[in-house]
Amino acid sequence: MRLRSRVRLVTMTAAIALMSTACAGQGQGSGGTPAETGGAGGSAAPVTLKFWNGFTGPDRPAVEAIVSKFNASQTKVKIEMEIMPWDVFYDKLLPSLGSGTGPDITAMDTAQIPQYAARSVFQPLDDMYGPQAIDPGVLVASAVDATSFKGKKYGVPMNFTTLKLYWNKDMFREAGLDPEKPPATWAEFGDYAKKLTKDTDGDGKPEQYGLAIADHATVPMWPILFWQNGGGVVSADGRTATLADPATIEAARHWVDLVTKDKIAPIGLGGADADKLFQSKKAAMEIVGPWMTTGFKEAGIDFGLAMPAAGPKANVTLGTSVAFTLSARADAARKQAAQDFFAYWNNKESQVYWAVNSGFPPNRTDLTADDLKESPYSAVFGQDADKSRFYLAGVQEFQKVNETIFEPALQRVLNGQGDLEQVFGQAAKEIQAVLDSAQ
Amino acid sequence: MLPTLAVLAVFVVWPMLQALYLSFTDYQVFSPARWIGLENYGRLVSDPAFGNALVNTLYYAAVTTPVSVGLALGLALMLNRRMPLRGFVRTAVFVPVVISLAVVAIAWSFLLDPNIGLLSHWLSEIGIVSEQGWLRDPALAMPAVMAVGVWKNVGFYMVMYLAGLQSIPAVLYEAARVDGAGTWPRFRRITWPLLSNQTMLIVIMAAIATLQAFDQIFVMTRGGPFFRTETLVMMTYRVGFKEFQFGYAAAVSWALVALIFVLSMLQFGYFRKRAVTY
Amino acid sequence: MPRDNRGLRLTWRVLSTATALAIGLAMLFPLVWMVATSVKPEAEIVSFPPRLLPDTFTLENYAAVWERLPFTRLFVNTVIFAGTVTVCSLLLDSMTAYALARLRFRGRGVVFVLILVLLMVPFQVTLIPLYDLLAGLGWINTYQGLIVPRLTNAFGIFFLRQFLLSIPRDLEDAARVDGASELRIYWRIVLPLAVPALLTLGLFHFMYNWNDLLWPLIIGQDSTRQTLPAGLALFMGQHVVEYGPLMAASVLTLLPVVVFFIIIQRRFVAGIATTGIK
Repeated sequence: MRLRSRVRLVTMTAAIALMSTACAGQGQGSGGTPAETGGAGGSAAPVTLKFWNGFTGPDRPAVEAIVSKFNASQTKVKIEMEIMPWDVFYDKLLPSLGSGTGPDITAMDTAQIPQYAARSVFQPLDDMYGPQAIDPGVLVASAVDATSFKGKKYGVPMNFTTLKLYWNKDMFREAGLDPEKPPATWAEFGDYAKKLTKDTDGDGKPEQYGLAIADHATVPMWPILFWQNGGGVVSADGRTATLADPATIEAARHWVDLVTKDKIAPIGLGGADADKLFQSKKAAMEIVGPWMTTGFKEAGIDFGLAMPAAGPKANVTLGTSVAFTLSARADAARKQAAQDFFAYWNNKESQVYWAVNSGFPPNRTDLTADDLKESPYSAVFGQDADKSRFYLAGVQEFQKVNETIFEPALQRVLNGQGDLEQVFGQAAKEIQAVLDSAQ
Repeated sequence: MLPTLAVLAVFVVWPMLQALYLSFTDYQVFSPARWIGLENYGRLVSDPAFGNALVNTLYYAAVTTPVSVGLALGLALMLNRRMPLRGFVRTAVFVPVVISLAVVAIAWSFLLDPNIGLLSHWLSEIGIVSEQGWLRDPALAMPAVMAVGVWKNVGFYMVMYLAGLQSIPAVLYEAARVDGAGTWPRFRRITWPLLSNQTMLIVIMAAIATLQAFDQIFVMTRGGPFFRTETLVMMTYRVGFKEFQFGYAAAVSWALVALIFVLSMLQFGYFRKRAVTY
Repeated sequence: MPRDNRGLRLTWRVLSTATALAIGLAMLFPLVWMVATSVKPEAEIVSFPPRLLPDTFTLENYAAVWERLPFTRLFVNTVIFAGTVTVCSLLLDSMTAYALARLRFRGRGVVFVLILVLLMVPFQVTLIPLYDLLAGLGWINTYQGLIVPRLTNAFGIFFLRQFLLSIPRDLEDAARVDGASELRIYWRIVLPLAVPALLTLGLFHFMYNWNDLLWPLIIGQDSTRQTLPAGLALFMGQHVVEYGPLMAASVLTLLPVVVFFIIIQRRFVAGIATTGIK
C-alpha cells in the first residue's frame, strides 16, 4: 500500500515538474541566442576552426608544431587545437557534435569514421581531392581508401603506418637466438616465442614471455594472425563475418594453444599492458606501431624492427591511419579553411617534418630516402604498405563488432570459457546480424 | 527554497525526465528521437547483456554493502576507544574517501599488474600467485574491484558509525557495567539497538552507492574481461556513449532506478518495522 | 589476579595498536606508492622486480607536469568550481532541507520522495539531455555551465533534512511565538545549530566536485575552463601512458583535498559526532 502510494506520488510530481520546467525552459531559451564557437562573419577576420584530436603520445609535439606553423604561414585560417586522450575525445565528441558545440574538424582512426558518417555527423570530402588541392596520386592509397564509407570519402589522411614486429635483441641473445634474425615464418615465430618464455622459479607462471599480444583495448593484433592464415574477423569488403571460417578457426586454434598451453604470452592484456610488458623487458616480442619507439628507447631496450613473420597463406600486417574529418555543420567558408589546413598538413615540407619528428612514415609516396634520413624509424614503418590491410574497413558499427562482440569472444576462448568453434561461431552470427542491419 | 527548487527543476529534474522520455524512443544522439513505446524495455528482458549486468550489479552490491558496513562498524568500535594512534588510523581510514577514485584506481591497476605490480610481486613472494593477474582473471576481476570499492568507502561509513557511537550516553554503559554485563551483552543490548537508526541510513546509502558502482570499474577493467565486471551503470555508458543507442541506454538506467527504488523501500520498511520493537 | 589482568591488558593494547597501525598503513598504501612513484624516473617505474622506494630520487616528473599543463590555471578553475559549488550548495541545500524538515506545506512528501529518486538516477544518463540544455543556453565551456547545475543536490538536501529532524524544535517554537519570520528563524537559529553538519557536508561537496572528472571534462572544452582532474586525464594516452608525470599530477591533485581534510579533521569528526543523524 505504502509503496504504491509513493509511486503514485512520484508520477504526480514528475508531471508537475514537467509542466513547470517546460515554461521555465522556454523563458530561458528565448532569452537570446548566445554567440557560439567564434564564428567569423567578415572576410577580413580569419576563419577559426576548432580542431580536436587524441595525439597525447610522443608525437604530440610534432602535431603542435605543424599546426602552429600553419597558423603562422597565413592569415585566413586559424586552427584552435585541443589535444586529449582518445577515450576522452570520443566521450566528448558525442554530446558536443549532437548539440552543435563540438569541433569543426577532428582527427580519428579511420575505423571509427563510418559510425559517425552513417549518422551524418561528418560531410563527404570527395571534392577536396584533386591535383589542385589534395592530390590522391601522391598519398598512400590505402590510407585514402580507408576514409571511404559507402562510396564517399569522409576524411583526409593525417597519418598512416603499418605495424611491425619489435624484438628485444638482448633477450634473443640470452635465449641463444641470433639477435639480428627475426622470425620469418609462423613455425619460427612460435618456436622463438617458446624459447623466449621462461619460468625460472617453476611456479607455473612465466617470469618472461616470448610475446606480448593484447586482446582488448588495443590496436588490432590478433586479427593480423587470422589474416596471415587467410581468415579474418570480417571479409575485406566488410559485408560478411568470417570469424567462423575454417581458416580463421585454424589460425586462432594454433595461436590460442601456444598462448594457453605453452604460455608464450600472458592472457588478458590491453594495448597499454602489452607495451608495458615489452618496455619492462618481460616480453621479447610485440607487434605494434611507431609510437612506442620513444618509450622503448628511453627504457634502454636494444630492439629490432621487421615485418611480422609471414603466415601460411599471406605475408600481411595491419595498416592503420588517422584521418581528418569535417563536421556536417561546417559551411562553405569553413570547408575551404579546412581544406587549406588539410592540404598544408599533407604538403611535402610538413610531411618531412612529421616523418622526422614523429617516427611515423609520411603520408606521401613521393618523398625520397634522403628527405627522411634523419628519422631511422620512419622508413621502416613505411615499408610494406602494400602488404598491409585495414581492420574492419568500411564496417559501420566498428564499436559493436570489435569491442562488444569480437574482443569478448576472443577473451572467452583464451580463458577456456567455451569451445573455440562454438564461441567464434556464435560471435560470427552476431557480427553478421550487425553487418546486415547496417546495410 | 524556491531558488533551490528552480535549479533542481531545470538542471536536475528536467534532464531526468528527458532521459525518461528518451527511454521510450530510439534516440541515437545525432538524429531526432522517434517514439517507439515500450520496445526498449521489451528488449531488456531478452537481452543477455542486460541479464549479465543485472546479475553483476546485484552480486557487487550484495557483497560490498554488508562487507563495507560490517567493517565500518568494527573499525568504529575499535577507534571509539582511547588508544594510541587513534587519530592517525581514523585519518588513514578516511583518506580514501576524500580522494578521487578515478585517480587511485590507476594506482590500484598498476599495483595489481601481474608482471610488474608491486602488490602482485609481494603476494607472489609469500606464495600467492595469480597467473593472469587479479584484474584480468575472469574469476578474480570482480572480487578485485569489490575490494577497491570497500577500501574507498569504508571510512565514510565508519565516521557515521563513530558519530552514532558518540551520541550514546556513557551513563548507559556505566549502568550496564554496574549490573556486571560483559562486552558482548553491552554491545548486544545497548550499542546495536541504539545504532539502529545509523545502520538504516548507512545500509540504504551504501546500497544505493554500490548499485551504481562505476568509477573504479571504468578505470580498472572497463567491464571486462568479457563483461564479467560490467554493472548496469557501466552498461549504460557502453551502450549510450560507445554504441550511440542512447534510448536503450536510458531504458537500462531506468530499470536500475526502479531496482534501487524498490530495494530502498524494502529496506525502509524492514528497518522501520524493527525500529519499533526497540 | 590484578597483575595478570594488567599483563593481559598490556598484551591486548599492544596487539590492538599493532592491528590499528597495520590497518592504517594498508589504507594509505596506494597513496604512499603514488608519492614514491612520482619521484622515480620512468625507466625505474616499469622495471622488475618492482620496489616501493625509489633508487634515484627525481623531481623531473613534477617539472614535466608544470611544463605540460597550465597548472595554475587549472588549479584556479578547480578552486572556483569546487568552492562556489560548495558554498552555494550548502546555502540552497540547507534552505530546502529546513523547509522539508520544518515547514508544513502541500506536496512536502512528494518533494522528499522526488529527492530520494534523484539520488538513485545514475548521472551518466542525464548527462546528454543536460548537455543539450546547457548548449541551448550557450553555457558550454563557461563557469556558469559548470557550476549552476551543481548548485544544489539531492544528497545534500537528504543529509541535512535528516540532521534537522534530530534537532529539538523548542528553540524555534519559542522564536515563532515571539513572532520571528521563518527566514529569521532559519538564519539565526537553525543555521548556527547546523554548523557541524554543514561542515561535514561541505567537505563532501568540496571533495566530490574537486575530484569529479566526467562533468568538467565534458562541459569544459579547453584549458581555460577545465579543472585539475580533467587536465590530469591528459596524461593518460591510449598507447602510451607516462606513469611518472601521471602520478606526479595525481599527487598534486590529491594534495589540496587531503590537506583540506586534515585541517578540518578535528572539527569534522566532532561535527559528524554531534550530528547524530537520526
